Amino acid sequence: MEQSSTSALLQGTVLDLASDVVSALRSGDHARAGSTLTAGGAAEGVARAAVRVLGADTLLPSVLLRVTPDPAQLAVFKEAVAAHPPRHDAAPTVMWSHWAMTRALRRAEHPLTGPPRDEPDAEPDARWLDDAGWQFLTHQLAVLAPLALPGEECAVTRVARGRPVDVARGFVRAVRRRDWQQAAGAGRWLTLLDGVPDTLGLEAGLDFVRLMGGSDPRVALQLEAARLMPAGVLL
Amino acid sequence: MRVREVEESALDWVWTHRDRFALGDDALAADGQVNRTWKPLGELTQVCASVSRCTPPGDPLHTRVSELLDFAWQQTHRGELFPLMQSLEPFATYPLEVYAAFASAGLRHPGYEASAAVLTRTRGWRLTEQYPTRRLGVLEAERRSGIDPHGDVPQALGRTWLGGLPEPWTFERAAGYALTHVVFHLTDWGRTPRGVPEDLADYLLHWLPPWLDTCLDARMWDLSCELLAVAASLPRPPEPAVLEDAWQRVAAARAGSGAIPEEGAAQDAAGADPGPDPYDFADCYHSTLMAAFAAALATAAAARPPDVRQAARPAGQGAPG
Repeated sequence: MEQSSTSALLQGTVLDLASDVVSALRSGDHARAGSTLTAGGAAEGVARAAVRVLGADTLLPSVLLRVTPDPAQLAVFKEAVAAHPPRHDAAPTVMWSHWAMTRALRRAEHPLTGPPRDEPDAEPDARWLDDAGWQFLTHQLAVLAPLALPGEECAVTRVARGRPVDVARGFVRAVRRRDWQQAAGAGRWLTLLDGVPDTLGLEAGLDFVRLMGGSDPRVALQLEAARLMPAGVLL
Repeated sequence: MRVREVEESALDWVWTHRDRFALGDDALAADGQVNRTWKPLGELTQVCASVSRCTPPGDPLHTRVSELLDFAWQQTHRGELFPLMQSLEPFATYPLEVYAAFASAGLRHPGYEASAAVLTRTRGWRLTEQYPTRRLGVLEAERRSGIDPHGDVPQALGRTWLGGLPEPWTFERAAGYALTHVVFHLTDWGRTPRGVPEDLADYLLHWLPPWLDTCLDARMWDLSCELLAVAASLPRPPEPAVLEDAWQRVAAARAGSGAIPEEGAAQDAAGADPGPDPYDFADCYHSTLMAAFAAALATAAAARPPDVRQAARPAGQGAPG
């Protein structure tokens, strides 16, 4: 009972946090966003766990809109990165999510100069995607949607760039399965890829996902990211 | 798993249950149920005509479908029933559509063709109100029956769901059945893959994989088999992994008798210990026929010379191919 109420609390906090990000992306100003992390909206442990779930997208407004992150929010993010390093046998998506958070943190801390060059980010292994079928590939990419950023360069983005048709197929599959979160995540990747068949109708597809699933802030977050992506400043 | 095994077991089931395709006394009744009489017989004939073409004369499957074609032709009294059926409802298109399946197998009735040509010359026939996919089917039925088609195929194609290259995520059941039949009509039921225009072939190669995958997940076995038949009717084949996975799943859906249910609901109704032949005829005859049809086309496509069987995307995704 206690476990399920904790889980419900975490889920609610993730949704609140995602709503904050959506508001910030829509308004173009983090100050107008909600304050799940900064105004005692959630207990510390739950807030950190929620940041882990949302991953690097917690700082997406500062990345896509080039606004300075709120210091208190950044502090919680930093704690979340430091408090839960992945175990060496963690799933690849966990490894990559952590890597993306670390990278986002360094970018946020060095907004003008970028991350110091003498500290290259050690990328996790991406071989788990080498022989991935298009269904699994799209699922994994949707989980790692925070890596879908203009100009992002890493092994996962290179895999995605090599398989635009497969990601497009995954988008179709996700829509057919009414898996709006996966569809929105795949759609966000597709806005960055060359070679997506025109017949996909991505713009109308993203509108459809918004119509059907946009009330979930996690879906809305991906759709807002996709909307801003073409105009996004290269990292 | 060999695709051929699916073809063999499906045709075993068809052979064992051939009497269920027989025309009853109600076939020419004024209030007859065409969908329960002539339609299954026409579908049996079409599938047997296609399997016959895909298998060499010495093959036991060729012999089996030849016998089934004889059986079906006898049901029509060697074509004599077609003029009678047409006289009941002269401007209905289904008699000609059913007849065309026989004609494509070389089973023809010149008297019926002559009388049908009188009807198809009228403005009333040309103006029959029907779905675009059905319109395309009637044009093809005319051609196969030796009658001048009453309209233009590209124009009819342009009014179909598939012909308009719709967003692939708008695919639903009705669109799926419409698109499979468009391909069947364009290719004369798999006989001429080049009948699929290049832009349609590209479109289908892109989007068949997610349609197949989601139909199989939903246990829509009938539509899945039709999509597999489409995959085998294209000028270039989809990626082998897509087909292998789909055929494995179709093969696993077979009952001991070789029957494949139309939908998963029939499997649920049959329970955990269904026995070898658990489905009502109406719940499995069409999907079992479509499995045999798709398997025959797939086997024949795999045997085509390499210069005809190019890879779907030789230059890789995203590269000009």
